[in-house]
Amino acid sequence: MMAQKRIAIYGKGGIGKSSTASNVAAACADEGYKVMIIGCDPKSDSSITLLGGKRIPTILDLLRQKLDVTEKDIVHEGYKGVKCVEVGGPEPGIGCAGRGIIVAIQKLRKVCTSIDDMDLIIYDVPGDIVCGGFVAPIRKGLVNQAYILTSGEYMPLYAANNICRGLIKINTPLSGIICNSRSVTREEDIVKKFSEEIGSKLMAFIPKEQIVQDCERDGFSVLEKAPDSPVAGVYRELAHTIMSNEGSVMPSALEDERLRELTR
Amino acid sequence: MAENDISIIHPRPSSIVAALYTLRDLNVDVAILHGPPGCSFKHARLLEEDGIHVVTTALDENGFVFGGRDELSSLLTKVNEMFNPKLIGVVGTCASMIIGEELREPVQDANLDVPVIEVEVHAGYPNNTKGVLIALESACDAGIIDPEELGRQKILLEEATNVEKRHGAASREYLTPSRGDLKYKVAEKVIDYLKEGKRCLTIMNAKKETGYMFADITVAINEVASQLGMEDNVINMANVDDTLGLPRVRHHAKSIMDDFTEKGITIHENIGGMDEYPITGEKVSGLITEKYSDFDFAVITGVPHAIPMDNLQEMEVISVTNGPRQVIPLKEMGHENVIVEIDLHPKTLGVNNIVESEFGATIREVAKDMLERNSEAV
Repeated sequence: MMAQKRIAIYGKGGIGKSSTASNVAAACADEGYKVMIIGCDPKSDSSITLLGGKRIPTILDLLRQKLDVTEKDIVHEGYKGVKCVEVGGPEPGIGCAGRGIIVAIQKLRKVCTSIDDMDLIIYDVPGDIVCGGFVAPIRKGLVNQAYILTSGEYMPLYAANNICRGLIKINTPLSGIICNSRSVTREEDIVKKFSEEIGSKLMAFIPKEQIVQDCERDGFSVLEKAPDSPVAGVYRELAHTIMSNEGSVMPSALEDERLRELTR
Repeated sequence: MAENDISIIHPRPSSIVAALYTLRDLNVDVAILHGPPGCSFKHARLLEEDGIHVVTTALDENGFVFGGRDELSSLLTKVNEMFNPKLIGVVGTCASMIIGEELREPVQDANLDVPVIEVEVHAGYPNNTKGVLIALESACDAGIIDPEELGRQKILLEEATNVEKRHGAASREYLTPSRGDLKYKVAEKVIDYLKEGKRCLTIMNAKKETGYMFADITVAINEVASQLGMEDNVINMANVDDTLGLPRVRHHAKSIMDDFTEKGITIHENIGGMDEYPITGEKVSGLITEKYSDFDFAVITGVPHAIPMDNLQEMEVISVTNGPRQVIPLKEMGHENVIVEIDLHPKTLGVNNIVESEFGATIREVAKDMLERNSEAV
């Protein structure tokens, strides 16, 4: 029996974490793996393309109503049986989203018995590591592999570099870098070089394809809506890489000057 | 709205404070509050009277934003040097828990050769017993108590919560605090009843260290009964089993029982441990049915609302509590008189012997006056 793989995907806001996470989840489900995706972003959009464009109630929405939350309230089955969970979050500017992740994940762990049966659990973590709550899945021992998603632009790389600092701080190794292309000049080279210099490796280069956006707009993953497209193949390859990846290293963060040199 | 969903709006003890008291019962030498300097300050200082050091990481706004791992770690090192403790407790606060502070990592950073119980708790739980529970689970994880004791404590906590919801401070949305009945009037009544040869049950059902003061009422009633030659009319029940509970709780039971013995007070019925106040009611009821159903009045001290009224209906019930919000529920239960021992807690922390209660002192003084008047009349 394979060990349960529990991964967290970090990266700058808007870089495509949810899109990548849901497509990887779909690709793994296609392979017969039992998959759960836990969206930790207040936008609660990690699972939307696995559910035909439907939003599910978030754990925090239900907790806010002081309901006695059960597994069926918060775990919803999507494409090929992928179990979808959304943490949700407070209203913008109120409360602490980080603390919300902690509370929601504690609740999930308490009421969700099926979580132990999964082959792969994907934590789609919001934006950057901006506070203690955002690293809760790792700190609470719920994640055994961390990935960073970036493009070849300066700001996403800056965020990725910062996340490396966060991982060092919480003594967590990095399992790889994924590049979600924004069609920047020399992009694959830049991200590859960055990956090497921080001591990690580039796991996949996902080309910028309009089909990804089109499928998303329709409320589907590429794997479901356009399974024969080349980018679907890239996601399949990435899913395979993740499921077989056992290596991880403690990253070293780069100086800002070096980051700038890389992207010039 | 369901009975248990009452939104209680009067202030009440917090889970953080409950966790601190539990650490005290586990005999920690130092408790560190990881949070702002003012958190739980009144009880923190009170607990220092009870022989443990309570200190704070004094997190400020900077700490809320950037975390307080280093502050906690360095404070652990500092208290270890200052106090040479054998056991340390670290307690979370609302602030540190909201910002997602981990307690384990700073403890590991400090790398002390002393066991540390980490209690990740805030005050946002409806029942403050949650703080006790988290502290006990952490103590069990740290090997300070065994799973069997943890299981026992869980049962007691659940029942303590139920008792408060049924007839206690959590029984309604708002309870007006009250000083209760005048002590000298009730004292006169008790003495008159004893003089008349009425049969009296004293039932001390005290919560842990509060027993040091409630026991004095048992002593005072027995002293007066003895002066009146009516000692055989008094039967004493008390929860002073020293084989049950956390280390400090067992110590309290032994100290109080030793004092009873030294004062010549017979405890006819030992009704349980000093942490068993929520579950003694059934035992007391059983004993009354079996042996004492023809008694005329009962003086119940400590947590009187945990004793069901089923078998007390035929007796006049006088109760003594230390909770000003307990007066109304007790009156509604059918207790004719309810007395409040104000400031009981500050006077019972840090002591190892029975301390004088206001009601006990009043009984003694009123009895002295009454007996003097009687002898002058003769």
